[in-house]
Amino acid sequence: MKRKPAQKPKPHKPVALDSLVAASARALALPLDPSWESGVKFNLQLILRHAALVDEFPLPDDAEPAPVFHA
Amino acid sequence: MNSPSPTTPNPLRYFMLDMPAGDFDFTPAADIAAAVASGRSTALRVVEATLARIRERDPVLNSFTAVTEQRALRRAEAVDATRARGELVGPLAGVPFAVKNLFDIAGLSTLAGSKINRELPPATRDAALIERLETAGAVLVGALNMGEYAYDFTGENIHDGASRNPHDHDRMSGGSSGGSGAAVGGGLVPLALGSDTNGSIRVPSSLCGIFGLKPTYGRLTRARTFPFVASLDHLGPFARTARDLALAYDAMQGFDADDPACADRPVDLVAPLLERGADGLRVAVATGYFKCNSGETCCAIDRVSAALSANRDIEIPQAERARAAAFIITASEGASLHLNRLRTRAEDYDPAVRDRLIAGAMTPASLVVKAQKFRRWYRDEVLKLFTEVDAILAPATPCTAPLIGQQTFMFGDTELPVRANLGLYTQPISFIGLPVVAVPVPLAPLPVGVQIIAAPWREDVALRLAHALETKGIVAAPPPSL
Repeated sequence: MKRKPAQKPKPHKPVALDSLVAASARALALPLDPSWESGVKFNLQLILRHAALVDEFPLPDDAEPAPVFHA
Repeated sequence: MNSPSPTTPNPLRYFMLDMPAGDFDFTPAADIAAAVASGRSTALRVVEATLARIRERDPVLNSFTAVTEQRALRRAEAVDATRARGELVGPLAGVPFAVKNLFDIAGLSTLAGSKINRELPPATRDAALIERLETAGAVLVGALNMGEYAYDFTGENIHDGASRNPHDHDRMSGGSSGGSGAAVGGGLVPLALGSDTNGSIRVPSSLCGIFGLKPTYGRLTRARTFPFVASLDHLGPFARTARDLALAYDAMQGFDADDPACADRPVDLVAPLLERGADGLRVAVATGYFKCNSGETCCAIDRVSAALSANRDIEIPQAERARAAAFIITASEGASLHLNRLRTRAEDYDPAVRDRLIAGAMTPASLVVKAQKFRRWYRDEVLKLFTEVDAILAPATPCTAPLIGQQTFMFGDTELPVRANLGLYTQPISFIGLPVVAVPVPLAPLPVGVQIIAAPWREDVALRLAHALETKGIVAAPPPSL
């Protein structure tokens, strides 16, 4: 497998995270009590930090996801 | 490090010395079954003694959420009647066991550690693995405490209270199968079942000082259990000996069309192979990401690797990224499962679980798919290692049991949150469904576990090594000294 260098994802700025949380809550019709926001943001930041580690890993276009559907 | 929150003092210290002799206290399941099969005891006597122990010890350990006393007594009588008729009673005759409360038990609501599920109608049929163990003669005695919806490594539960570590009641049992770890470690039952999505069998096994088996993904049916992350969920047994793990595992194998992920494979009995021991097996120690980082875990790895002549180090490639990918898939799939409940009942969740699930729902799908693609790449790379070795050793947890309520622990020079990181050594392994036996190294004052990791479908290798270590006295689950 020949790998191309991947562009390293930039860390999410707090403002961007605020917007993502607010927009996602609206899009998903999820209640978001103001007292929960800091906990949700903390966890989303943690997920996105992990996601960046995966995202920067180069994979070929024909990489198959692990779960495979069988008809 | 943050100070642990105050915990309730334990007015009841340990009591096992008060138990009458000859009631099978801390007796392996294999010995109980042999006594019942031979007529030296009866299933009813064993179960009555077990119920008495639960009544006496569980007010401290808080491992049970329901005790199915009448059912257990009827079932024990049925086992004894079978024997009285001269019929075979099964390899687990009269062995009491309990299950994490995400397993369906006919007549009970399946709590999955939650408040919300208490409103579910009672299950109409037992989980498939309960049926299989009872077919082998075992006797269900109850349902066990767990972290809410299995999104947990601590064994704490805001609705039912924390399961307590049998070696130190102020410390965590580990989770999410915390009640399973506490009940087996505390000698309430010789056998329990739990689930493991990212480490929820191996973490409590390590902290409570017992044996735990997370089989290959797809090996044991999950039918009629409450899910968490479908593509990562496994079920498996806890016990105080490797042989008991093997007996229970053998009794639970077999295809089941009721679980879409259950593999249609022949039953591979392991118990008859245990005496082969470590002969001919090549064992290596995982290095890099898995390098031990505390005195206790290093001591445990050193003892186990020396006993198995595991002189070779091996690097599991991209393990940190694998752990990260497991983290994302868990957050996203778990959130998907709970989306409707989060919309309508968010205030009824444990806040720590709720915030993680809501954040998981907000994770971009493109990143989740990428994690699933990485998962296949990683699987292919790790499987190559098993052409060179038969088993790999790694720590099961980064530390011994933290105090209940403790928020952080030191990992080398780094302070890490407990809740998210007790499974940092287990996540990269279950991520690709490899079979693992967690073996207990009885260090003082607290035990800690080591993972024996094998190639897919080679539970026999991990269990043989666990049995060999036990025979040499390197690993063991002795009664707590409290």
